Amino acid sequence: MHNVLIIDDSEINLTLIKALVVKLGDCSPTLFDNPLKALEWCRSNVPDLVIVDYMMPDMDGLKFISAFRALHGRNEIPVLMITANDQKDVRYDALLGGANDFLTKPIDRVEFSARARNMLSLRTGQKFLADRAEHLSALVEERTTEIRDREKELIFRISRAAEFRDPETGAHIQRMAHYSQVIALGLGLSIAQQKLILEAAPMHDVGKIGIPDYILLKPGKLTHEEFEVMKGHAKIGHELLKDSRSEIMKAGAEVAISHHEKYDGTGYPHGLKGHQIPLFGRIVAVADVFDALTSERPYKRAWDLDAACKFLEDGRGKHFDPMCVEAFLAGWEHVLDIRQRFRDEEMPQI
Amino acid sequence: MAAGFVLDKASILDRLGGDEEIFTMIVDMFVQDVDNSCDALAAALNSGDATVLQREAHTVKGLLATFSDDAGVAEASVVEQQAGQGLASQAEAVAGLQRRLREVAAVLSAG
Repeated sequence: MHNVLIIDDSEINLTLIKALVVKLGDCSPTLFDNPLKALEWCRSNVPDLVIVDYMMPDMDGLKFISAFRALHGRNEIPVLMITANDQKDVRYDALLGGANDFLTKPIDRVEFSARARNMLSLRTGQKFLADRAEHLSALVEERTTEIRDREKELIFRISRAAEFRDPETGAHIQRMAHYSQVIALGLGLSIAQQKLILEAAPMHDVGKIGIPDYILLKPGKLTHEEFEVMKGHAKIGHELLKDSRSEIMKAGAEVAISHHEKYDGTGYPHGLKGHQIPLFGRIVAVADVFDALTSERPYKRAWDLDAACKFLEDGRGKHFDPMCVEAFLAGWEHVLDIRQRFRDEEMPQI
Repeated sequence: MAAGFVLDKASILDRLGGDEEIFTMIVDMFVQDVDNSCDALAAALNSGDATVLQREAHTVKGLLATFSDDAGVAEASVVEQQAGQGLASQAEAVAGLQRRLREVAAVLSAG
């Protein structure tokens, strides 16, 4: 049903045009004898066609069209202006001012029907294109979400592949990723950055895939040489993930190479110091160590929370970025909640 | 003095696509509203504002055109165009236009 707005200060013309509009079929006319009231109506209603008289008190047709076109989303809606045959100058002004076509008085039904139908076809085409654009946009959004979800799942599975070769668990990945997000929140990072670290942090140890079993699974203390090989997982993880077009993979590469760096420059692989270490690496260092300390492993018992917190506090400015430790401790309620949600025994669905 | 109004129903209906229903509707409205149209013309003349008289004459011109009254349209056009030259000089023309409106209404009423 087309909504046709008719504005004319003459009752007879309103009635006549309304009758002609109804005869077009599939049209619902809305009438105003006052252009100012019509304009007010247009603020909250979107007509499919406007038929407006030129000469009216308070506001003439030209001014109406100009004010109508200035309303948001009304610049494409077809407008037919009614003029007398001898008003050529008015027609020129109206065309420049945004009228699409004209009707001459006295109104001729054949001419009226043809012009009105043309305008309504134009409107139908506009709506079709707008609907199609909206549909396509929704489709792209849907597909993008699917791809992102797939990407997230893939990342989770890649991360788990590394963890499976390790005494650590899938729940560890989830906890440390969520702790990282808590720190990002506490540091005032944007929602997008918080989300990015949540998704990228699980890849911190992906390079363990490249570490031989006899080192990775060795129950006792590693020799100096073995530890040197073990340290290689940071670079291997970076090699695996770098140069990706995916933002998450790129962030994962950064986390992989930098999460064993220490704030005082004694970490590996590059011995970076302070803010030379990428922020995501400094964040993940705190999250990863805290979870490793507070988790039970075949070779060690879980630390209690106070002891783990003290370790973080003592490590400020040495192992850890003090700001990251502060942000982590400031989000303590979230930390406890995450520990509850992601226990080692029962893994929630991702 | 313009020639008397002769109803050319065929020409009006032709413009209305042969729609008798619409024809009857607008005739009824015109007849019922003719006093108001005449009053509006008088008020415009007395307003002292040439623009108001121009607009009213324009409206009347449109109404008479609807009923194919070419002579009436010509009278209304004269008032519309000459209103700017002084309202006092238009009194006679406005009175003539009012008479024309009533005449057209009477003819239309008679069918």
